[in-house]
Amino acid sequence: MSKSRPTILICDDSLLVRKKMKDCLNEYGDFNIVEASSGQSSVELFKQHDPDLVFLDIVMPDKNGIEALKEMMEAKKDVKVIMLSSSGTKSHLKAAMDAGASDFIQKPWEKSQIEHIIRNIFQEGV
Amino acid sequence: MYSQYFGNYLLNKGLISPEQLTDALEYQRSVRLKLGVIAVNAGYMTPSQVEEIHNMQKRIDKRFGELAIEKGYINEQQLEEMLATQKQGHLMLGQALIDRGHLTIDQLQDALDSYKKEYGMSTRQFNVVRKDDSEEIEQIFQSYGEALLGKMYSDYVTLLMKNLIRFVDDYPTVEINQLKSDVTARWFTSQEIFGKININTAITCDTDVFVTFAARFAQEEITEPDELAQASVGEFLNLHNGIFLVNMSNNGVELEMHPQQVEENYTFTNPGKAYIITCSMTWGKFDVLLV
Repeated sequence: MSKSRPTILICDDSLLVRKKMKDCLNEYGDFNIVEASSGQSSVELFKQHDPDLVFLDIVMPDKNGIEALKEMMEAKKDVKVIMLSSSGTKSHLKAAMDAGASDFIQKPWEKSQIEHIIRNIFQEGV
Repeated sequence: MYSQYFGNYLLNKGLISPEQLTDALEYQRSVRLKLGVIAVNAGYMTPSQVEEIHNMQKRIDKRFGELAIEKGYINEQQLEEMLATQKQGHLMLGQALIDRGHLTIDQLQDALDSYKKEYGMSTRQFNVVRKDDSEEIEQIFQSYGEALLGKMYSDYVTLLMKNLIRFVDDYPTVEINQLKSDVTARWFTSQEIFGKININTAITCDTDVFVTFAARFAQEEITEPDELAQASVGEFLNLHNGIFLVNMSNNGVELEMHPQQVEENYTFTNPGKAYIITCSMTWGKFDVLLV
C-alpha cells in the first residue's frame, strides 16, 4: 500500500451508490478506490487490498455488511470502517458498533459528511 | 376507494395542460412561504441552520419544525408563530391556477365539484387526502379489511409520497386499490421486508418511465435501461424501505430487508391479498405493489 495514495474500499451492491461515492471521494483527494458489490467480495477484496478506509453497506447479497464487518475486524482490528446504509435501525446501529464500526452514516449521505470523514482520517490531506 | 390529487385530475380531464400545471405549481411554490425563510426573517435561525435542517430532512423523516426544535434552534411557541405565518402565505393550487390565468374561478369550482362527485369523495375526504393525511389513507386500507396492518400500510404509503417528493417529483399523486390479477411488468424492481411482519414491495413500470425515474433519482444523464438505471430505481426502493424500517424501529418493531432486485419482463403472480399503489408523476405513471 502506498502511503501517499490511500486505498478506500467501497462496498455496496448498488452501482449508483458506488459511482456517487467514487465521484465524491475524487473531489477530496487522490485515492486508490476499490469496489465490491456483495458481502463476500467485500471481505475478499479487503484481504487482497488492505484498505485504509472502508465504506460498507449493510443490506448486500451473499453476506450482509455486519457479517462482513466482523470478518474484516478479525483480519485487521484497527481498520476504519464506516457503515453506510439506508437501514439505520436500532438493531443495525448496535450490531455495527458492537462489531467495531467507526461510524454509521444513513443514506442518502451529504458530501460534507464524507468530506468530514476523509479529513479526520487523512488529516494531512491527500 | 380512490385518492388522487386535484392537479392530476385536471390534467387527465384535459382541463389544463401539463405546462399549465407545471407553471401553476412553480408559481405556488414561489409564493408559498417556506418555514426556513420565515425563521430567518423572524431572526430565529441563521441561513446555515436552515440549510442544515434541510439537509437533515433528506435523511430523517421529520418535519422542518420538529428538527429545528430538536436542534434547539427554536422553541414550540416560535414554531406555532411560524406555522401561522406560513398559513397566511400559503397559496392553494386552485388559487395558483386562477392567478396564472389557466382557469377562471367558475371553471375551478366546476372542476372541484366534478372531482368530488366522480370519486365519491366528501369535501372532508377531498381536503384531507390533499393534505396527505395518513389517517385517511389508513381508513382506505381498513376498508379493505386490514384491521391490524392498516396503520402500517398507511405509514408506508405516506412515507412513499414524501420520498417521491423528496427525490423524483414535486407533485406525486397516488391511487390505492386491491390487486385483482397477476401483473406483468416490463421492469419489476422488488425488495422483501421480513421479520415480525413480512412485506413484499415492488415498483413496476414500462421502459420510458423506468429510465426517467432512474435519471431523476440519480441526477445523472440516463437514457437507456442500463445497469446504472436499474441500480438507480433499485436504490430508490432500497432507500425508501430503509427509512420505513428506521421508522418502524423507532416504534419498537425491528425488521430486516433483503437486497433489492430488478427483473425485466417479469410476471408477478397475485397471491390473493395485495395492493397496487398507482403513482402518477408529472412525467409518467408507475405502480408500487404491497404484498
